[in-house]
Amino acid sequence: MNTDELEQLLVQQPVTLLHRLARGRVHRHFRAGKKRLIELLLQHSSQNRAGLESDLQALIGEQHARSESGSSHIHLPPTIARKKAAPRRAESESAETAVSLSEWLEGIGVPSPQPFVPDPWQTEALSAVRETDVVISVPTGSGKTYVAVEAARRAMEDNRTVIYTSPLKALSNTKYTEFSRIFGPDAVGILTGDRQENGQAPLLIMTTEILRNLLYDAASGEIDVRLDTLGLVILDESQYLADPERGVVWEETIIFCPSQARLLLLSASIGNPQDIADWLTSIRSTVCRLVRHGKRTVPLRAGYLHPNGKLTPLFKTLGIPYGHSSQLHPEAKQLFFEYEEETLPAGRPRR
Amino acid sequence: MPPSIHPVDLITALRHKHLTPAIVFLTSRRACDEAMETFDHADLVLPPARQEAIAVALERITVQHPSIAEHPLIPIVKRIGIAAHHAGHLPSWKIAIEELMRQGHLDAVFATTTLAAGVDFPARTVVITQSSIRKSRDFTDLTIGEVQQIAGRAGRRGKDHVGFAIVTPSPYIDLTVLTKGLTGQPEAIDSQFTISYPMVLNLLKAHPHEQIQGILAKSFAQFQLNQRAELLEQKLDALHVQMEPFGPRVCTDWITQWHTFDHARRHRHTRHQTHRAESPEISARLPFLTAGRVIGLSRGRGIVLRQYRSKGQKNSMLTVLRSDSAVTECPVTSVKEVYDRTYECAETPAYPWCSTDTFDRLSHHLEELPSRLPVLPILVSTGIDPLPDAIVQSLGDFPCPTCPSRPACHKDFMTASRLRQEQQRHTKSIQALRTSLWHRFQERVEVLQKFGYLTPATQLTIEGDWARLIRIDHSLLITELIRAEAFTGADPSLLAGILASLAHDDDRPGAFPRISPGLSSLLGQVRKLAESLSPYEDPPLLRADVAALVERWVADPSLTWIGLCRLTTMAEGDIYRLLARTLEFLSQVQALKSTHPGLADSASQAITLIRRGVLEELP
Repeated sequence: MNTDELEQLLVQQPVTLLHRLARGRVHRHFRAGKKRLIELLLQHSSQNRAGLESDLQALIGEQHARSESGSSHIHLPPTIARKKAAPRRAESESAETAVSLSEWLEGIGVPSPQPFVPDPWQTEALSAVRETDVVISVPTGSGKTYVAVEAARRAMEDNRTVIYTSPLKALSNTKYTEFSRIFGPDAVGILTGDRQENGQAPLLIMTTEILRNLLYDAASGEIDVRLDTLGLVILDESQYLADPERGVVWEETIIFCPSQARLLLLSASIGNPQDIADWLTSIRSTVCRLVRHGKRTVPLRAGYLHPNGKLTPLFKTLGIPYGHSSQLHPEAKQLFFEYEEETLPAGRPRR
Repeated sequence: MPPSIHPVDLITALRHKHLTPAIVFLTSRRACDEAMETFDHADLVLPPARQEAIAVALERITVQHPSIAEHPLIPIVKRIGIAAHHAGHLPSWKIAIEELMRQGHLDAVFATTTLAAGVDFPARTVVITQSSIRKSRDFTDLTIGEVQQIAGRAGRRGKDHVGFAIVTPSPYIDLTVLTKGLTGQPEAIDSQFTISYPMVLNLLKAHPHEQIQGILAKSFAQFQLNQRAELLEQKLDALHVQMEPFGPRVCTDWITQWHTFDHARRHRHTRHQTHRAESPEISARLPFLTAGRVIGLSRGRGIVLRQYRSKGQKNSMLTVLRSDSAVTECPVTSVKEVYDRTYECAETPAYPWCSTDTFDRLSHHLEELPSRLPVLPILVSTGIDPLPDAIVQSLGDFPCPTCPSRPACHKDFMTASRLRQEQQRHTKSIQALRTSLWHRFQERVEVLQKFGYLTPATQLTIEGDWARLIRIDHSLLITELIRAEAFTGADPSLLAGILASLAHDDDRPGAFPRISPGLSSLLGQVRKLAESLSPYEDPPLLRADVAALVERWVADPSLTWIGLCRLTTMAEGDIYRLLARTLEFLSQVQALKSTHPGLADSASQAITLIRRGVLEELP
């Protein structure tokens, strides 16, 4: 067999076979695509041509023997063919229950503008924050900002200073612009590591580090009028408490937060908001109130887009089947199975 | 089939199903930029009306942020209505993209996952292409919280009836991570409380030493430690109940008594046996057959990758790298020679037992070995002297053999001793949980006393009083540098350069602008000091190239932003962040006005000099 013939033969083989052939011959062969793999194998053939050819023939022979005894799937060894048959059957059973693509895509569009009505949890949080500390743990995009704005407005009406902290400078800047628009530019100030504007305003936006520093300075005897009249501290993105490098700053801030000020912790969904609330109750003068819910304001659907451009729902159900991660849509399952078959190196066990 | 969908096809598919605007999360900045490049030759052009709208919107943003006026990506964004958004971009560009997205001018944004945790930036659809994320050099699976954070960007309140999270596979994606992430409960968060030097100084400034333990007890860290301690206490109570039948017998502490007796008895009866039937010549060799050692075998030579014992084998085994990068296993007995040569070998716990780099390097070394190598002389010790067993001799001293409670002790010993061990273990860990924070605090106090920031009575010294104002990373190094007068008489540019090298914690490589002799000698000094402080504080990366870059920016006011970017391969966004962080460090130094006026003055000069061009215009 000359090199061209060998190449021809290799090109005709399925990629799984090529991976098997490459095992022990080509370093990190599973990284290579079919074309590159053939190149590498040909390169290798200069070292041990005879061995490669004989192994290739043996593998092809095996392949034929299997496909004859096995099923009609020519390119797949019987073990895979059997596995593949199983989801097929499941599909026919669950065909009625699984959602179809058109159903899944239904309802895309812009809702007609409706007057804003606060959600029950928002009113609950707002009435609670008048008396006690509040921890809010709700999904992204549920309208935490509304609570922050309203709570700040009420505190400012009582002539109290409000401090709003966020973990990122970019976020602080966005909020500064947003709050200036709502409350007027004179009422809002910003303090970050490199920017200080309107530092005596009743509503101060800062990074959490700056607030921590203010609290330390106040504790060591420096007089800060803003902290004396402090009525509300809003800590946005409080899940940063678990940040390996910066989390400690949130703890320090909460520990040293003046007792007359109310704390409002806004956080994305986390697993143990009750712990945070219990902790606040244990170190502060009032009983902390926890407001949590897991329902998104805009419902979410999950889809699967195959590299060939085919779109299917990811789950059998229309929405996300919370708590049931295995309820995959049969079509998505099938497509992903095929994807893995083609991209995973042959013989590697599937998870 | 391609390993993942082509960006152009992806956008076409999304547009076709009315799933735009969309955020496409990709693994890296580079992936985002490459995805943008694929549109260069695609004819996915927006209708002129929309192009016009984008141009108008961009112009409005440019008024506020002039630095984006000539941004190289503007033409393509206008043409196709798609943009990239990642940390390599200037904040002003990111703000512009966010604004365009908010106003609904863009159909898609390619972004890295940092976006998910950052700004408020929703879309109708998010596309997820990965199940793992790069964290400090390594890829880890996305947590449930992170998947939901990403999916949370889908669906805009008031603008969408539904949001869509679409998974599209790429190599190495693990679908179960994503499905679990979408359907699961987010993880619980844990405290990451650490005690830093400035924290200790600030606490001691405000509160007397004896109150500190109470303050530390208020932390979430202690709250969670207490939760664990309470769990252990419950277990301890249960153990107490179980221990009841094993109270005092003839001797009060019968468990210890029996333990010693039993031990002594067993030792008398068992003869000393050699552990393995290995000849002294072989066992003398074993300590030398470590990873990286060159050995001679019956045919050719090899480099040891690991030594191990296997159940089925009588002898110790070796994994050896042979010529042609072959990895073979052989018993120690087949080693003919041990050569006096070793190579460095970064071991890993799985095949091929060393890192890929090492593997390639070792194979290379093996090919290059000279034909003659010095043989390692190994001394063989013959025979092991049995130790005189003191316990065996004193066996007569035990009362146990004739004790009436002997059968009971014999029977209960195993259970009782296990229970008692568990009890002791729990008691110890409860104590550790209750006091660990306090101990860590005390450790820090001792270091600060050693360096003279605190008096032996834990009062702040004059040094400590200003040092507490430096509340940033590497604070000990910075205050020690100030005390060593390293910055006295230094230019603002030198000060800024050094602080930049302290502030920069990213190890992405950048190109080297030429470093000035003054800065390089100062940097050498800093490095020396950082090394001497390494038992007390992790040394910073101290990259000379970022120091030189910032020095240039401060020293040469005529240098433009574009000129600065040309000096290095760092991305614009990274340079911006570097300068912003340097500003933060400088403003901390600036706070030392009353004690170090010269230094503070130098810092404020540096701050004014840094703030120009892009940095002045941005918040």
